[in-house]
Amino acid sequence: MPEVFIDGTRYEFEGQPKLLQYIMDLGLEVPFFCYHPSMSIPANCRQCMVKIGQPVKDRETGEYELDENGDRVIRWFPKLQTSCSIDVTDGMVVKTQESDELVQRAQKDNLEFILINHPLDCPICDQAGECPLQIQTYKYGPEGSRFEVKKVHKPKRVQLGPRVILDAERCINCTRCTRFTEEISKTHQLTITKRGDKNYPTTAPGETFNDPYSLNTVDICPVGALTSADFRFRARVWEMNQTPSIDITNGKGCNIDIWTRDNLVMRITPRHNPHVNDYWMPDEGREAYRLFNENRISRPSVMLDGNDQVLSSWNNAFETLAEQLDKFKAEEILVIGSPHSSVEENYLLGKFSNLLGIQNPVFTPHSEKGTGDGFLITDDQAPNTNGVRLLDFDEKDAASLKETIKEKNIGLILLLNDHLIDRGVLSADDLDSKFLVMFASNESETTRNAGLLFPITCIAEHAASYINVDGRIQRSFPAKETKYTNRRLNLEMSEGRLDRYGTSFDNWVSDENKIDCLTLWDLISLLGDKLGLELSYENGAREILSEISNKLPAFEDVSFEKMDDESGIQLDTEKIKVKS
Amino acid sequence: MAVDWRSYKPVLIPDIPNLNDIDVYIKNGGYESLKKVLSDDWTPVSVVDEVKAANIRGRGGAGFNAGLKWSFMPQPDGGPRYLACNGDESEPGTFKDRMIFEYNPHLFIEGALIAAYAMQCTTIYVYIRGEYINWINMMDKALQDAYSKGFIGNNILGSDFSVNFYTHSGAGAYICGEETSMLESLEGKRGYPRVKPPFPAQRGLWGRPTTINNIETLANVPLVINNGADWFKGIGAENHPGPILYGISGHVNRPGVYELPSGVPVLDLIDEVAGGVKNGKKLKAIIPGGSSTPVLRADQLDGVSMDSDSLREAGSMLGTAGLVVIDEDTDMIDLLWRIAHFYHHESCGQCTPCREGTGWLEKILLKIKNGDGEVKDLDLLLDLTTQMEGRTICALADAAAWPVRHTINRFRDEFEARCKKSVHAMA
Repeated sequence: MPEVFIDGTRYEFEGQPKLLQYIMDLGLEVPFFCYHPSMSIPANCRQCMVKIGQPVKDRETGEYELDENGDRVIRWFPKLQTSCSIDVTDGMVVKTQESDELVQRAQKDNLEFILINHPLDCPICDQAGECPLQIQTYKYGPEGSRFEVKKVHKPKRVQLGPRVILDAERCINCTRCTRFTEEISKTHQLTITKRGDKNYPTTAPGETFNDPYSLNTVDICPVGALTSADFRFRARVWEMNQTPSIDITNGKGCNIDIWTRDNLVMRITPRHNPHVNDYWMPDEGREAYRLFNENRISRPSVMLDGNDQVLSSWNNAFETLAEQLDKFKAEEILVIGSPHSSVEENYLLGKFSNLLGIQNPVFTPHSEKGTGDGFLITDDQAPNTNGVRLLDFDEKDAASLKETIKEKNIGLILLLNDHLIDRGVLSADDLDSKFLVMFASNESETTRNAGLLFPITCIAEHAASYINVDGRIQRSFPAKETKYTNRRLNLEMSEGRLDRYGTSFDNWVSDENKIDCLTLWDLISLLGDKLGLELSYENGAREILSEISNKLPAFEDVSFEKMDDESGIQLDTEKIKVKS
Repeated sequence: MAVDWRSYKPVLIPDIPNLNDIDVYIKNGGYESLKKVLSDDWTPVSVVDEVKAANIRGRGGAGFNAGLKWSFMPQPDGGPRYLACNGDESEPGTFKDRMIFEYNPHLFIEGALIAAYAMQCTTIYVYIRGEYINWINMMDKALQDAYSKGFIGNNILGSDFSVNFYTHSGAGAYICGEETSMLESLEGKRGYPRVKPPFPAQRGLWGRPTTINNIETLANVPLVINNGADWFKGIGAENHPGPILYGISGHVNRPGVYELPSGVPVLDLIDEVAGGVKNGKKLKAIIPGGSSTPVLRADQLDGVSMDSDSLREAGSMLGTAGLVVIDEDTDMIDLLWRIAHFYHHESCGQCTPCREGTGWLEKILLKIKNGDGEVKDLDLLLDLTTQMEGRTICALADAAAWPVRHTINRFRDEFEARCKKSVHAMA
């Protein structure tokens, strides 16, 4: 196998990797700014310089020439090379900043150049704490600056588009953002303007940067030149907890990180998954962070006679539901699942209705034709349509759902987290004189029609799995606490820097932003106690999924552990029944 | 041995009135070498070999053997192949190619056609700087005439060889004279140099094999075909043969473009060809080949001639042979600041060392020029030139760094005299 020597250590490689990527894959480091594994290689930041040599071969024998010590004679390249753009070749000898003073010097020189016109305003810059320039300056940069003349001034606080703001002085011209709009989102909205040290990225005159993927440029910007109009100045990176999760605003299931502070979600950023979304996600998915904070239902409500919902105790709410279940015959009860809820929640609701002898649950997919773009935005507006399909719920469109309610003389509806009135599937009239029990996390027109309203956790508060449009099952982690969970006790929850290192005086966590809601499995388990049904799952969704896995062939071999190891599992799409 | 330049008869821009007229050009033996290579006696390979043997060293500044460059083109695969002719000439002190555009455009066109035939190119572009709008118009006229006579187009002169030929105007960027950013510009993109490898011969214009040659280089090609490689090698300096268009500017009595063999002694060029330094002043220094080539003091010029070997020995380069003559009244700090200003203005901004370094160099030089500099600033300048050199995609950072380094080193006293006494204690 071909070999390469990096800082004196021998490694073997396959294929034709680029040196920088190969070094990173080994877990070693060379500093860089402009390189991005999913985009073209411009080699323009000149930070990843290394020294490279090739062993000299005897032309006739093809053998390596050896010196008097028996070592290979190395012919060094006359200039340092950018490791991002160079192919690894057999026998190549590489010296990085770890073993060569000239490389160290070159990297330090380059950082000195980058910093001369950089405003050095880290204390007021949003990028601070997650800034490659800041990190690499600490690691490889010069101690001070010899720059004693005037810096170049460029436009600041430029609203490039509705979601992205430019500070051109911070820009180091890596062209990641312009390459993103050229190569990934293909809107070609950004370009570099002007020349030399006056240049910066911008749109064509009069154009706005309204690319549906515009916020990805903020993620890949290696400095604070591009910042999010929404997240700007709202939180420091080191004050937040970062939790892996799944985008729920469409059917693609982009892998995301949820960033929370004091149990409020501050922002959402994409998480790398080569099988789903690579490094990217649509802007729409990021704006969904508000759903986790605002308009939340906290504590159950019951409707009194005058159409007024009033807050109720959990106990009273369970009693009310038990009364209602008593009132109706099984045939008069309809259970409606939700493509907006997880596999486990739908399964459990189905199991619950099964135990009560209620007919097979139904659901209505939430798709809007023509909204998809063939990239990461899908027609499907829900994260788990295929999950509900795989659980064998009856798929019904709006008309047939209405018909079912009418014809079967339904009196009691159990509805899981699907705002059917808001999305025009049902109208308030369809529910007239029916008793609606709804399990939901956010208030809506639909929840206001519920006779009994149970608050349940949203994706940011529970671990559960979702199956995307391509049949891939992926799962979330709890990112924020509810009134009944505790970050320090729940091993699934992430610890931030303050949780780990802060004293109680550093930690700003209050009880204020904890929602009074339960996971559906805890809720149904309590309900089961009331009704004398065995529906208790001590290990929550993890245990439910393993039950599903044992029962349903489509879920064979699916478990939280495997999903964690393989960043999701691709299911056999043949088994997903598509009923149109 | 000194080159006998006094009896030299010009061949690139011969003294024939109205030679830019295609009929006059044909009457004087024009397009005969094109006919020659299209005849059965020649093949593309034999043309490349002949030009390689003649050792026409690129006249754009790098001085690479043109025929050798042509031989790097891969075998034709049926797809398009390009010849891109570089007439951007934006290096300060360089103004030779426009003489060819104006006085003998068909010689260049014929040379480009022969080159295209040798490399089996399908399209020729001639990239001319936008400021040369009049010369672009002249070239358009010359190309039209050549098209109408059947020298360009399909089945040229009844052969299988077909090629199209277009002019392309630059938009005022020095960097577009760098061969790969010229390709970007030809493709309609921002003039950013490309990372090499891949070299243009592998992936050039629109990803296809492309060769880039200077205008003057190509103008030599018909002469080589007509007279043979040996004739060409007999002209001028041994390792850098052939006629050269010397562009002489600065403090001389008769500035202009002069066609002479390579290897003319520098002092002959100044004193005899260009009529000596203006106003009887003494010579202080020269810049031999465009602003990026290292400056030479008058006392370094004894026995130095205008060819690559002699100039390298003296500590400079031939570049484009655009000789800038500097008299004793010239303020070297002013001069260097102006050169640094040019490179700061023209840096494309792609690579960090050049983008930031050129501006930094200029700002320090301005400080010194204004009398606010300190001696430590000179050392900082020298430091910065090593931080820039050889660390960028193209050679512009080198071009910006060399004049600063060599001017300071060669006129250190003058720079130090302008600096304030350092307030820092000596160690």
